[in-house]
Amino acid sequence: MKLVIDESRCKGCNLCTMVCPYHIFQEGDRLNERGIIVPRLDRPERCPNCRLQKLYGRRLCGACALICPDQAIHWDEEKPYEAQKVVIEY
Amino acid sequence: MSFEDWFREDRLPHIYCTGCGNGTVINCTLEAVEQMGWTVDDTVFISGIGCSSRAPGYIKTDSLHTTHGRALAFATGVKLANPRLHVVVFTGDGDLAAIGGNHFIHACRRNIDLTVVCMNNMIYGMTGGQGSPCTPVGAISTTTPYGAAEPVFDLSELAVTAGANYVARWTSYHVRELTKAVQAGLETPGFSFIEALTQCPTAYGRRNKLRQVSDMVQYLRTSVILVQKIQRMRERGEPVPEDKIPVGEFVRRNRPAMGVQK
Repeated sequence: MKLVIDESRCKGCNLCTMVCPYHIFQEGDRLNERGIIVPRLDRPERCPNCRLQKLYGRRLCGACALICPDQAIHWDEEKPYEAQKVVIEY
Repeated sequence: MSFEDWFREDRLPHIYCTGCGNGTVINCTLEAVEQMGWTVDDTVFISGIGCSSRAPGYIKTDSLHTTHGRALAFATGVKLANPRLHVVVFTGDGDLAAIGGNHFIHACRRNIDLTVVCMNNMIYGMTGGQGSPCTPVGAISTTTPYGAAEPVFDLSELAVTAGANYVARWTSYHVRELTKAVQAGLETPGFSFIEALTQCPTAYGRRNKLRQVSDMVQYLRTSVILVQKIQRMRERGEPVPEDKIPVGEFVRRNRPAMGVQK
């Protein structure tokens, strides 16, 4: 699975940067074509939902998608799906 | 299926301001409805007037966008006309507490099988930031330019006293807890009331030195205290902080409910 921010919906409130336990969402620094500073993704493959959703068969964590007031965060299916080796720091 | 499937994709993005907490509360409510396994055909969302009441317009189910403060009156009609429908009411503090106060206490008293999600943003956001019954003491709004002097209306306490079967309060920052509270409210037969304190950076924060969304959310996080913690402090005889807002589950009981299908 792949973590995606929908730039056509995001209004740049940066609420996702407050809730992610891995600090994957970082405050962005450039305006997009709608004049909104969309958060930047810092190594999104660390997200537990990206890594383990297939294994558990349900949505894990998902706090960013729940708190996003503009429904801009979702996970895309990756094809072909390939396992990635990631380093998790706490 | 997840809560995203309940949204009308053609209506998004919605009109809420940047950082408005109402979108979060809709997410949590839809996630809870999804967890209950209800379908689009047997669920009805009802709302009154205000920012919060725009919510059913973005949801696929049948909905009623009614007159100011009368969402509960319409919801009572829907529920009693067809008890098979699951009725969820979205409402705001100005809608529920100010103009619809009487409907609210009588809906609690009758204990109709409804779930009411109140997005309490402590101000009238849509009409330009007038003070509401839930504006904190000392807060600046367009109708209280020297700071609100009136005591705050505690909606959850009111619902407990008036006889609701399930009452809980969370903030829009506590998404998991809010989802669980809404789900418990949907499961409970009888009137269940969930108050969600939401941030309003545009109308409330701008006038109260909380202009950034993160400042406003931080304010919500730091100004709440768990009811269990208050109980523990009372048992130990410690002084309970007066300025904090209690959050958590206030009551869960089984008074005889109206409109429940036998």
